Amino acid sequence: MAIVIEPYREKHEPAVAEFNRRLREATADRDLVFSQKAIPSWLPRTGDIPVWNEFFLAVDGDAVRGAYALKHEQIFVRGKGVYQVACYHHALSEGIIDRSYARVGSLLVRDALARQPLLYALGMGGYERPLAKMLSALGFSLTLVPFYFRVVHPYTFLLEMQVLRESQWRAVLMNAAAVTGTGWLAIKFAQGVAGLRGHPGHFLAEEVTEFSEWAGDLWTKARDAVSIGSVRDANTLRVLYPASDRYLTRVRVSRDGAAIGWAVVGERREDTQKFGDMRVGSLIDCWAAPNDAAAVVRAAARALEKRGADLIVSNQSHHAWRRALENAGFLKGPSNFVFAASKKLTELLQPFDENRRSFHITRADGDGLPRNF
Amino acid sequence: MKVTTFDQIRTMASDLFGVPAESISAASSPETIETWDSIQHLNLVLALEERLNVQLSPEEIEQMKSVGDVVKLVEGKLQAVPK
Repeated sequence: MAIVIEPYREKHEPAVAEFNRRLREATADRDLVFSQKAIPSWLPRTGDIPVWNEFFLAVDGDAVRGAYALKHEQIFVRGKGVYQVACYHHALSEGIIDRSYARVGSLLVRDALARQPLLYALGMGGYERPLAKMLSALGFSLTLVPFYFRVVHPYTFLLEMQVLRESQWRAVLMNAAAVTGTGWLAIKFAQGVAGLRGHPGHFLAEEVTEFSEWAGDLWTKARDAVSIGSVRDANTLRVLYPASDRYLTRVRVSRDGAAIGWAVVGERREDTQKFGDMRVGSLIDCWAAPNDAAAVVRAAARALEKRGADLIVSNQSHHAWRRALENAGFLKGPSNFVFAASKKLTELLQPFDENRRSFHITRADGDGLPRNF
Repeated sequence: MKVTTFDQIRTMASDLFGVPAESISAASSPETIETWDSIQHLNLVLALEERLNVQLSPEEIEQMKSVGDVVKLVEGKLQAVPK
């Protein structure tokens, strides 16, 4: 029977469960599962909302051989306006475990491009990962979104940062650095030197339960500072970060009584393989005029420190936010967070290489929450 | 000697999959060529479109289960092109 791509309906749920079971049994990667439910748990399409998820399946008779999701959203392109685009995410193919289905990956991505030529993907784990390679072959423009981190508690970091402790001799060195205090000194010195470069001036940070019109005004005032960015008006922010979501912290930053920016922060899901028992906080999303980015970064970092984060991480592409992170003592680490724009989307972003410095891409873009931060 | 569609596709597949052309037959498929994975499948689709100047629909990509299937598909498309 021929494989056809169709929207995910409730009737497909048992076949998706079976697809997930086959993937799980053949691989150790716990991320290789597709939504068990046809209706997305995050950003389902309800009413006239500006951002929503939609799922599609590669159906082979009664079996499911592949799946992908599109996150429909609006982006602002400086000098051109607002466009409806989609993020291609959670693409899974039976070809991962059975090469006789190697064609499914091509079917999925081509189907997505046919549905939304203004397509992008984000994350992917680096240029060498299969999806990034596939999108590159299809003529997508790829660029890395820089990664930054700041160690709040060096002792815990040195003992728990599993990805840096892979070899025995390195683990011994890190233990010694933790116990003797030399690691604490080195990390605080490196971050302290980095943090001497700038001061954001006075500001007030307060936690809010929901973003309202003040946030929309900030979006309108500052959007021309970015060459491209997902729309972050009040309506979109209320959908992305609803008051009902108590897992995230929304920070409003003001100066002299007037709002100058905002940030959304949260604790990353547990990942003992990478981070051991560390508490990892993430600066997930943020917005301000470039001159006020430093205040927002510091306010976000304080909010995470207050919550007991041992390590704070963020991915930011815009040069003002990168500078703000560096000036707040964040260090740049290796990034595997890839932004890939389809040919049609790349046309809108020309000159791509020049404009990418001012792309506003954060950890909240792409498949965003709840998985990807 | 006339170069057949099979020869052309076999050469493409040999380049893409990194296997000797002689080892590729009409029955060759992702199950018999270890390097024929999803990325190389897409590269094969793109190579066919670029070098043989054909456009492949999702339904046609779905039919590409072996080299023989690819040859049959491409021959059908080339014959359908108005001379």
